[in-house]
Parts: sequence; C-alpha cells; structure tokens
Amino acid sequence: MKIQLPFTKSKKRTTVVKETIKKDIGMITPLKNEFIQSIKDATHNPADLMIKNISPNLTLVYIDNLVNDVTLNNHILASLQDKPIDTPETIKASLSIPEINISARFEVVVTAIVNGSVLLHVEGFSEVILASIPKQESRSLTTPENESQVIGAQIGFNENLSTNVSLVRRYIISPDLCNENFVLGNRTNTSVAILYINGIANEQMINTLRQRITDLDIDALIDSAVLAEMIDDNSISPFPQMLLTERPDRFCDGLLNGKLGVLVDGSSMAIICPQSFIEFFQSQEDKNLRWQIATFARLLRFSAILLSVFLTPIYVGALTFHYEVIPLAFLVPLSESRALVPFPPVFEALLLEFIIELLREAGARLPTKIGQTIGIVGGIVIGTAAVQAGITSNILLIFVALSALASFTTPSYMMGNVIRYIRFPIIILAGFWGYYGIMLAFCFILIHLLRQTSLGAPYLSPFYPPRLKGMADSIIRLPLPLTTKRPDITRPTDQEKYNKEPVNPKNS
Amino acid sequence: MDNSVQLKPNDMFNTYLLFFVIHSAQIGVGVQGFQRIVYQDAKHDAWISVILAGVATHIVAFCMIKTLEVYGSNDLYGIQQDIYGKWIGNFLNAIYIFYCSIAFFSVLRNYIEVIQAWLFPGISTWFLSATLLLITIYAFTGGLRVIVGISFFSVVLALWIFPMLIFPMKFATLDSLYPILEANVRSLLKGAYSMTFTILGFEIINVIYPFIKDKKKTSKYTHLALLATTFIYLSVMMVSIGYYSEGKLLRTVWATLTLFSFISFPFMERFEFVAVCFWMLIILPNLCLYLWAAYRGVIRLVNISGTKFVWIFSFIIFLATLIVGSRTQINMVNNQVAKVGFYIVFVYPILLYMLTILKKKFTAKKEQTNENT
Repeated sequence: MKIQLPFTKSKKRTTVVKETIKKDIGMITPLKNEFIQSIKDATHNPADLMIKNISPNLTLVYIDNLVNDVTLNNHILASLQDKPIDTPETIKASLSIPEINISARFEVVVTAIVNGSVLLHVEGFSEVILASIPKQESRSLTTPENESQVIGAQIGFNENLSTNVSLVRRYIISPDLCNENFVLGNRTNTSVAILYINGIANEQMINTLRQRITDLDIDALIDSAVLAEMIDDNSISPFPQMLLTERPDRFCDGLLNGKLGVLVDGSSMAIICPQSFIEFFQSQEDKNLRWQIATFARLLRFSAILLSVFLTPIYVGALTFHYEVIPLAFLVPLSESRALVPFPPVFEALLLEFIIELLREAGARLPTKIGQTIGIVGGIVIGTAAVQAGITSNILLIFVALSALASFTTPSYMMGNVIRYIRFPIIILAGFWGYYGIMLAFCFILIHLLRQTSLGAPYLSPFYPPRLKGMADSIIRLPLPLTTKRPDITRPTDQEKYNKEPVNPKNS
Repeated sequence: MDNSVQLKPNDMFNTYLLFFVIHSAQIGVGVQGFQRIVYQDAKHDAWISVILAGVATHIVAFCMIKTLEVYGSNDLYGIQQDIYGKWIGNFLNAIYIFYCSIAFFSVLRNYIEVIQAWLFPGISTWFLSATLLLITIYAFTGGLRVIVGISFFSVVLALWIFPMLIFPMKFATLDSLYPILEANVRSLLKGAYSMTFTILGFEIINVIYPFIKDKKKTSKYTHLALLATTFIYLSVMMVSIGYYSEGKLLRTVWATLTLFSFISFPFMERFEFVAVCFWMLIILPNLCLYLWAAYRGVIRLVNISGTKFVWIFSFIIFLATLIVGSRTQINMVNNQVAKVGFYIVFVYPILLYMLTILKKKFTAKKEQTNENT
C-alpha cells in the first residue's frame, strides 16, 4: 500500500524558488558603498553583520557569529595590515587560508556569507574574495547515551557532519569509502552525506537511495530521524525500516556489510539502510562477545520481544474468556489476587500499562536527578499502593513490569517503542475476543512485516526468503568461520567477508 | 494460441518454497476432524486408506506436472483455453474458479464453526467472517510474495504442534490397529475417497506453476510436500485409532482437537484452546492460495484489478457465510466440495494429461506434414 506523501516529488515548487533567486542575479558593483548596501539588502541587515574598512579601498564584510574569530585575527587581519592593496588576486595570494575563492556573482557571494565566509571587496573591482572560515560549533565526542554497551568502543557521533565523517574515516581507512554530499531543505540548506563502500554496496541500492534523497523537496531538515521517515519504503508503518544509530562502530560495521549510511549535519543519529527486522534486535556488542554468549543474549532479547508483546494480552485473554487454560495450581493464587479487583481484566491491564508508560515518559522528559525520584515513586509507591488499594492484582503487576522491562532490552530505541505500543491494541483485542483476538493480531503483524521492504529488500530477511547462511547470524550468532558471508538483504557485490581459514586455525 | 504467463524474474519465487506452498495448502481445516469420516468406511484400517489417498495424490500430481511441463510457462487456465478453444475452455475455467471459491468458502466456514464450537459459542458469525476476510484481503493485496511467505511461516511456526501428538500417544495402544487388513478393498477405497476433502489443496500447482523459478525441480518439491502431508495425516490417524475406542471415534467430530484437549503443561491446561486459535495461521495459506488461484482465473475472463476483485469476492463470501449457518448445511457444503474436488482434482488431471499428449502428437504430426509438403 503506497500512499503518496505530500512532501515528495512536487517538482513545480523547486522551479519557482529558483526563479526568485535568479531575479537577484547581478554583477557586483565596483563601488564600495553600493556593494555594502547590496549585501545589507540581501541579508536583511542583520545585527551581527560586520563591516570593516582596512584601508580606504579594502572592505571586509562578514557575519560575526558565523566566522572563526581566531582565524580572522591571525590569518586575515594580520596579513592584510601592512601589505599594499592592488588587486583581489594579490590579496588572495597573501592570505594563508585553505578555502579561498574569487567570485563575481552576487548570489555566490550571498550564499558564502551565510555559510561563514569573509568577503573582501576591493574598490574598483567587480570581484569579491571569499575566505571561508566558518565557526565549527560542536560538543566534544562523548559516550553514546542511548546505545551503551559494556564491551566495545565508547564513542558516539556528535552533531557535526565533518566530525562524524572523520570518525567514520578513522574506522574505515580506505579509498573505497565513498562520500556523496547533498543539500536538503530550501530554507535550512542542510548538508546530507551518503556513505558507502564501493565494491561492496549494491549499485542499484545506491541509486535508489540517491534518487529518494534528491527527489525530496522539503522546507527544512532538522534531524536525521525525520529524513529516515521520509525516505522509508513505507512511512505509514509503525515499524522503522532504517536503523538510526549514534555508534560509529555500528555504522561502520553496517557499511562493511554492504549497507548505505546517511549522515545529516546537525544530527547525532546516523541512518543505516537497508535494515532487516531482525537486525533491529542485534546489538553491536554481540559481535564483540563470544558466540555462545552472544547467541544467548540474542535469544534472550528475542524472547523478550515475544514476552513483551504477548504476555499481558495472554493474561487478559485467559482471565476474560479462557479460564480453562489456567492450571489448577495457578488458579488459586490468581483468583486470590484478583478477588478484590473491581475491574474487568482488560481495564485493569490497560490501566497498569498506562501507568508504566506514564512513568517512562515522565522519566524520559525530566532531568536525570529527578528521573530517579520518578522511578521510586512509580515502582514502590504506585505499585504497592495500587495492589493494596485493590485496583490491580499483584500478578498482573509482575506481568506488566516484566513486559515493560523486556521491551527495554531492544537495542534500537525506535524499535523498542514500537514493541511497547503495539501491545495496546493487542490487549484490547484480547479483552474482547480472547485468544482469537491475539491470534488475529499476530497474523496481521506477520502479514504486515511480510509486506514491508527496506530499500526494496525483504524486511524479514533472512527468514523470508529463507537463507540458511544468513540465519547463522540472525537471532543466533554462530562462530565466525560460519558467518563469512555478508547479509543477503544488502545484495552485496562482494559476498565473502573474510576467508574461513585464518579465522579458524587448525590445532597446531 | 499463445497465452502463456509472461513474468519477470522478480515475480517468481524459489522452487524450494513450493514445498511450503503445497504442504500448507493441503493442511487446513480437514485435519481437525477427518478421522471419523474415514473411520466410518475403513474402520481400524483407516490408516491404510490414508496411505492410499496419499499415493493417489502422488499419481495425480505427477500427471499435473507433466501436463504443465508440456506448456512450459502456463497455468491450467491457459492450458484449458488452448486445448478446448476459447468458449469451452473459458467455461471450464469458470468451473475451476467456482471450485476455488467454494473451497475457500468451505475452509472459512469450517474454521468459523470450530471457533464457535470450541471457544466462543456466542460470537457472531459475521464478525469472525469479516475479520478473517480482512486479514486475507490484507495478505492478498501484498501479492504472491506475501502469500508464499505466509505459507512458509504457517508451516514453520506450526511445526511445534506436531510433537504434541506424543502426549496422546502415551495412552494409545497398538492393539487397536490389529488385525490389519480386516476391511475389504472396497471399503478401503471408500475410506480413501473420504480423505478427499482433507487432502485437497495441492492442485494449486496448476496455477502457481508459471511462478516457479527453476521448473525442473518442481516435481521433487511437490512430491516431498505430498509425502510430508501424508506422513502427518498418517501419524494423526494412527494415534487416533490407538487412542479412541471405536464407538468414541465415531461420535467425535473434531477428533484431532479432542486429542489435544487433555494435553497440559505446568503453565497451561486445555491445549486445544490455544490450538484452535493457532489454527488461524494454518488456514490462512489455504484462504490466500484459493483466493489467489481464483483471481488468476478471473483475470483470464474479465479485465479486473486485484483490489476490486478481492473486495467483490470477499463480499460474496461474506454473505454466503451468513446464509450457510447450521451444521448440516456446512456438512453438505463440505461433501459437495469433496465431490467436486474429487472429480476436478483427482479424475480430471489424468484426463487432461491424456488430451495434452494427444494434442501434442497431433500438432507435431501436423507440423511434420506441413514441413513435408
């Protein structure tokens, strides 16, 4: 089911915007005052627009908050002080700045000044020197907050595109690492980079991704999560089809498996695609652990999903309709705990799930210090009090807490959210139609997942279409000699990751 | 007449998936209670009837595949148009579409009845029918890729049900099977005939054949699937004969479900409640495949989009589930499906195979004479 979204492929608007820009095209005047006025007009005379006269015929124009002060002082102002000013060419030669251009087109000059360039205008010349010294505002590299792991690199992306690309380049030192740049957003002009490894990534997929990004006609792009939703195969589905990660090691591992990565300037989350459903439940740490432990962790996580989605509905279904299913030994404590509860099970369960979600949401929004208080208030006060007041049964409380806990084991926050929220409709279905309702939901989800694709590749890979080689690294992780192939979902040009033999040395 | 199905490689599926398609198409509502019907005729030799029926499926499937191989990439609808000409061919196509439709209907109606009998006596038929149809529509609109996927998951995710037979096996006795071959050939064959409704479904090969990637391996996976189905039916039948006393089995409508009803785990009793619900996943491929088979035929007759067709089809089936209400009516439908299915699936393909060979020889001769003159 493809629904045309409003922000894709409206080519009409692009042309209109371009025409308005074209009106402003003009040559740069050689006169100093006219030039200053025209820059002021074009940038709407901002308060931080600085105009400096070095000598009677040389003018510096820049936006104060965009340029690097140190570079400006040491490399531009200092070198211009005692030099004769003749032509723009001589000035260009005398400045020791790597990115320096000369332009005679007004639109280029205006774009440059908002990108952090200093304009040097020499009276009598209709050319301007653009010295690009943008201020790189970025926080220092820290540990990834949302995807922490015990064994593995403790570094996360930050909000600066060039820092992020350099992080990736430090992991993959290879001339095959391709980096394509795009500018998105008519108003924000956000830089977006597609990264992939030539010789591994599938050519067709690169074209698809490139096409999807260039086809976008959007006003603004603030975060990569928004971009991921726009270039998803199916934006209507609650299941994300592209992974958002803030771990450079996971990003690079994806690239090395033939996936494509997208980095957005100003966003600390990188996009990885194509991504299969099962890969959302894998952590980068699984690769660093021994295969037995990793397999156990993955199985644990996978059973946690099933538990998280179906445990509460099964409780509701059993207590509402199918008392026969409950073993006799279990029936006594269950009826004891429910004896005081005045509500039907479905209402009871929804109430508790609602409280848990409230706690989670409150904990996420509040500062860390108060967040801990919320945990105590929620866990002890509300939990115990609710049972003692007879609003809920304590067995259900265990189930709900267990399924909430289980949902947090999902390494991808986006997927963890989906796992938590699809529980609500299933609880309602179980409350009305018992196990039939649960099974209906199960079939619906199965069909839904079967219908999804990620960048055109099947979402349920490697289970459907079934690939035994791929399953070796899915909900289990077999020893390295058995997982030499790259995942099928990426349709890699080069299938073998490494040679079996050196990884599995014979007993010597 | 060239009316073969032209497909891109992307629309096709790998041959080994055919195993899951055929296997899941066969196993459906029938297995829930086929023991009584077969037992009526063949008594405690019913398991021999199951084997006979299984052998019959192998023979028929062999003829079907041979017929299809003659035409390369074509389905039954195209073959019928080619052999009988446009008018009679289309008439036979319409009959086949009708057969798919009533088979679809009978699967749906039987499942609804099981749900009502075992789980919710009070739940209304229209609700069950509507929800199941909606799920089927959602799967159907995803295309053949999704339908084959459901067949695959239906088989794989239901694998755990089969070992549950161990529980009743503890209470079964082999003595019930003796003396072997007490029933005469006539009643054995009659019993095998009674298997028809349960064992139907593999005729999907007639329609799905052009969509298989490597057609040379078709027969291998088809026969494997048929073997697996026969094995499952045989084990269920043998356990049932051993578990039930004679009189009990004749009075049990859903013998398989009753077998499950005393299975219990520390965390769960009355396993059949879970099994009945889980059966939705097992009948889902039946519904999707019959619907899809009907659609493949309909687009040969009229120009209609898939979405439009599936809504109209579902609406008609929905009305029909409301009309056919009582157990006797459902039984009548089942018997009719079995009867029609017997002729269409078991008798007709052999006839068609002979006709195809005759026609092939005839055209070859004609071409030869043409070349000579």
